[in-house]
Amino acid sequence: MNLSDQKKDNFAKQFSAGLVLFVMLMMIGVFLFQYAPMIAFFWLSGLGFGYILQRSRFCFVAAFRDPALTGSTAVTRGVLVALALTTIGFTAVKYFYHLTSQTIPGQSYIASIGMNTVVGGIIFGIGMVIAGGCASGMLMRIGEGFEIHLITLVGFFLGTMLGNNHLQWWNSHWMWVKEGVFLPDLFGWAGALIIQLLVIALLYGLAIKWEAKQEL
Amino acid sequence: MEREDQKNFRRWFKPSWSYVTGAVLLSILQVITLIVTQEPLGITSAFSYWAIRLQGVLGFGTPAQLTMVTQLLGAREALWFEENLVTLRNLGIILGALLSALLASQFRLKKIKSGQQALTALLGGLLMGYGSSIAAGCNIGAFFSGIGSMSLSGWVFGLFLFIGAFIGGKLLIRFLI
Repeated sequence: MNLSDQKKDNFAKQFSAGLVLFVMLMMIGVFLFQYAPMIAFFWLSGLGFGYILQRSRFCFVAAFRDPALTGSTAVTRGVLVALALTTIGFTAVKYFYHLTSQTIPGQSYIASIGMNTVVGGIIFGIGMVIAGGCASGMLMRIGEGFEIHLITLVGFFLGTMLGNNHLQWWNSHWMWVKEGVFLPDLFGWAGALIIQLLVIALLYGLAIKWEAKQEL
Repeated sequence: MEREDQKNFRRWFKPSWSYVTGAVLLSILQVITLIVTQEPLGITSAFSYWAIRLQGVLGFGTPAQLTMVTQLLGAREALWFEENLVTLRNLGIILGALLSALLASQFRLKKIKSGQQALTALLGGLLMGYGSSIAAGCNIGAFFSGIGSMSLSGWVFGLFLFIGAFIGGKLLIRFLI
């Protein structure tokens, strides 16, 4: 058997294993659906999330790290596209709920702003670069077979435990805007949408310029 | 498997998607998730939940923390249900990635190379865990979902993530490569 045949053989093996896994995952999905459709939704959306991340090599760490480290902004621009599209989609959904006087969904994600946001961001940024994966990337790479990210996961869990215990202290000493800031409250729905999309477009333009500058 | 079949399957499952394809699909997933679950995607709330649970079992922490744990244990049914869904989704991310890797025959069991690598991974994880638990989320919950929800906190978090990633990159060059 030559090398190319071996490769083909490996493909057949993994592909077959993939098909078996697919059937198993769907069976679990059906089981969960019978238990409660919402639970099946979480299951399937997780599978879809992992599948998309792996197939498109979408990596939030690379998006933040690569511009300074390698000069590439390809992933950064991908993330900016995702931010723009999600903003449009979310705003449409939220505005619909607002118009029909229902509770706007997902407003708990309008987080408070304080020194904890600043320090948390910096610490998380350092951590994800030296670990080579953020929360989603780590889970995705565990699925790809990286044993090292099991250790990252243990560290993540221990760090969370420590942070949970300091949360009270951060919140009582370093909070600036407790209720958070929902941009449409400041600029109106259309204004906030336009401003946010302009900022994303500006960053996109900067990313293109930055990469072009590296190639010179 | 026949050669012809293999060729066809390869064409379907082997090539990577572009980042823009990934971005479009992730955004669709975000919007569907917001509509169905009434919340955007998030990952780390499940870690927080299990950390608090474990701490409750082990029985240590500040009084405020223990009150929180007790409350959680008191409201066990509801929270188990709610937070387990995020845990279930996280498990789905791992298995979805495994499925994708297998279908493309990209699955490789990669062993831990050295103690130094393990220590770095542990430290990186610790920093991420601490950061996400005080800043209410990770790249997904606080950044992606935060900005998507037009929350100023998402932008502030993103700016300092960028600064942190810059520092991390310097550390990487200085100590690890």
